[in-house]
Amino acid sequence: MRRSFRILAAAGALAILAGVVGWTSAAGTGPATIRIVERQFGYTRVDVGRHGLSPGDSEIITSRLFNKRVTQKPIGSGRFICTFTNGLNRTCIATIGLPKGQLVATGAVRFREFYNLAVVGGTGLYDNARGTLTVIRTTRKPARDILLFRLAG
Amino acid sequence: MAPAAERSDSTATPHWRQRLRTASLSSRVMVGSAVLALLVAAAFGVLLYAVSTLDDATKRERHAKTVTAATLQLEKLVVDLETGLRGYVLSRQPAALEPWRNARAQLPEKLRAFERLASTTAQQTRRARNLVTQINEYLNDYSIPVVDLVRASPAVSRTQTVRQEGFFRVSEIRRQFARFLDAENALTAHRTSSAQSWSDRAIALAVFGLVASAILIGGFGLYLARSIAEPVREVSGGAARLAGGDLGTRLVPHGPGEVQELTQAFNDMAERLERGRRELEAQNEKLRESERAKSELVSVVAHELRTPLASVLGFTSVLLQRDLSREEQRQYLGIIDAQGRRLAALVNDFLDVERLEEGKVVLAQELVDMGRIVREQTELFAGQSPHHLLDVSLPETPLAVRGDANRLAQVVANLLSNAIKYSPRGGVVRVAGDREGSNVRVSVADQGIGIPEEVQKEIFGKFVRGHATANGIEGSGLGLTISRSLVEAHRGHIDFESTSGKGSTFWFELPVAVPD
Repeated sequence: MRRSFRILAAAGALAILAGVVGWTSAAGTGPATIRIVERQFGYTRVDVGRHGLSPGDSEIITSRLFNKRVTQKPIGSGRFICTFTNGLNRTCIATIGLPKGQLVATGAVRFREFYNLAVVGGTGLYDNARGTLTVIRTTRKPARDILLFRLAG
Repeated sequence: MAPAAERSDSTATPHWRQRLRTASLSSRVMVGSAVLALLVAAAFGVLLYAVSTLDDATKRERHAKTVTAATLQLEKLVVDLETGLRGYVLSRQPAALEPWRNARAQLPEKLRAFERLASTTAQQTRRARNLVTQINEYLNDYSIPVVDLVRASPAVSRTQTVRQEGFFRVSEIRRQFARFLDAENALTAHRTSSAQSWSDRAIALAVFGLVASAILIGGFGLYLARSIAEPVREVSGGAARLAGGDLGTRLVPHGPGEVQELTQAFNDMAERLERGRRELEAQNEKLRESERAKSELVSVVAHELRTPLASVLGFTSVLLQRDLSREEQRQYLGIIDAQGRRLAALVNDFLDVERLEEGKVVLAQELVDMGRIVREQTELFAGQSPHHLLDVSLPETPLAVRGDANRLAQVVANLLSNAIKYSPRGGVVRVAGDREGSNVRVSVADQGIGIPEEVQKEIFGKFVRGHATANGIEGSGLGLTISRSLVEAHRGHIDFESTSGKGSTFWFELPVAVPD
């Protein structure tokens, strides 16, 4: 009886330890805010269906990412693929490549000047990342945005 | 081993105590003053520390208030930015943006001032930097783009996303402000409390130090009073007893070194005074003795001079007043001559004694045969008394001594004269001279009245005549005094043996002359 209790206790302790390790690895970055300046350098519009803006059209935007507090050189690249659904409304998937991994955000966008996307995952350091990406346009020409990731874990 | 160590300790402690007891007053005063000075200095140091701590706490509190004021001003600017922006977004009236503009204009300076003032601790510095970053990001990443959006795309600026972002950012900044202020207040409170606590402890320590100093100063004064006043009072009492005539007063040395020296000096002074008094008393006694001797001398001299002088005057008167036969005249003149000679001899004796006492007699250092001197003097005295038989015993060889022949003859003559005078009923006077070892010994023995035992000790003194005067024996009492002085001046020795009623033997010894 006593032996069974010891085995159970050891198993419980191992389980708690495994749980803590797992939670820690899931929240690789921990709660964090990442601020990046994005400078757009490519824009491609794919017009499908009837001419002009119509559901199914898509736009592909490529950009370079900067963190001037660290270096003047680009620290990564961004790719936005948006599919228009209704009028100016579109669904976008943003893939942000950073030195220690990628972050992927998706969501609905109406105005490109100011929108939020849900961070749904990532790779590398940002494995299993969750949170919000807020994009704010600071200049139109050249198009510069602030990308603000608020990661929950 | 242990007993040895104990013995060592037991011998070391009394030595240490002894050194402490005999330490000089000046060293005690210096050590005591140094301890007191250290204590007072420590107390004042603690007080100074308390004052400086309080002053520091006051400065920190004042600085904390300045930081709080700067923080609140900055927070107000942020609120102005936010409210101005919201008003502009809602109304799109440029006038609504005025608070925003004012706040934006003031913001850089206020941020710099805030960052500078808030650098009190590393944590607060980090918090302040974080706040400044957030405010700058709010302004540059949100507020300014939104103002631009209002102008370019008013619909965008009024979306929920934009409003939420603004609310979220300002809320976060205000939370940061609250945390910063809480931390600053906690820090100030902690510092004030710590300073107050230190101040309280320092004041308590200082008060304790000052009270202890006061007690120690009082104790030190008491100790000094007892160390100095008490022994000085004892010395004063001793001096009073000394002044009162108690020259046997002595004090027990105790107390500090200087006081012990004072006591020792007092004892030395008392000792010298007592010795001086004894010497004075002895001198007084001598003076009294001298005065008595002088009176006696005057009496003796007057008596000795008066007797022959009376004879001289009496017989001279008889010769002048009566017609005497030639034979009678010759007889009386003979008496006058004899008495005159006696007077001259007396005067010579007086002069000799004086010269000998003053060391003015000059003795010749010639080779003298004592046998010849004894023989000559015996022959001279042999005819003077028909009742005495002078038996001379001398060796055939000379008894050579070195000295003054006349003075040595005077000594022999004195002894012979005494032997005859003090044998009034006559008898044999045995005179002997011989060599004994390295000395020549001359002795004169009579069968006379002898010397009473009570006089024997002072028989060589001046004017000592024993019972001679009572027995009607003439003399000055200076012969033996002169004889002893002369013998001793020749590095010799004179002495006697006598039995009252049976006679006396006087003898003297002189060193045998060493041939040149």
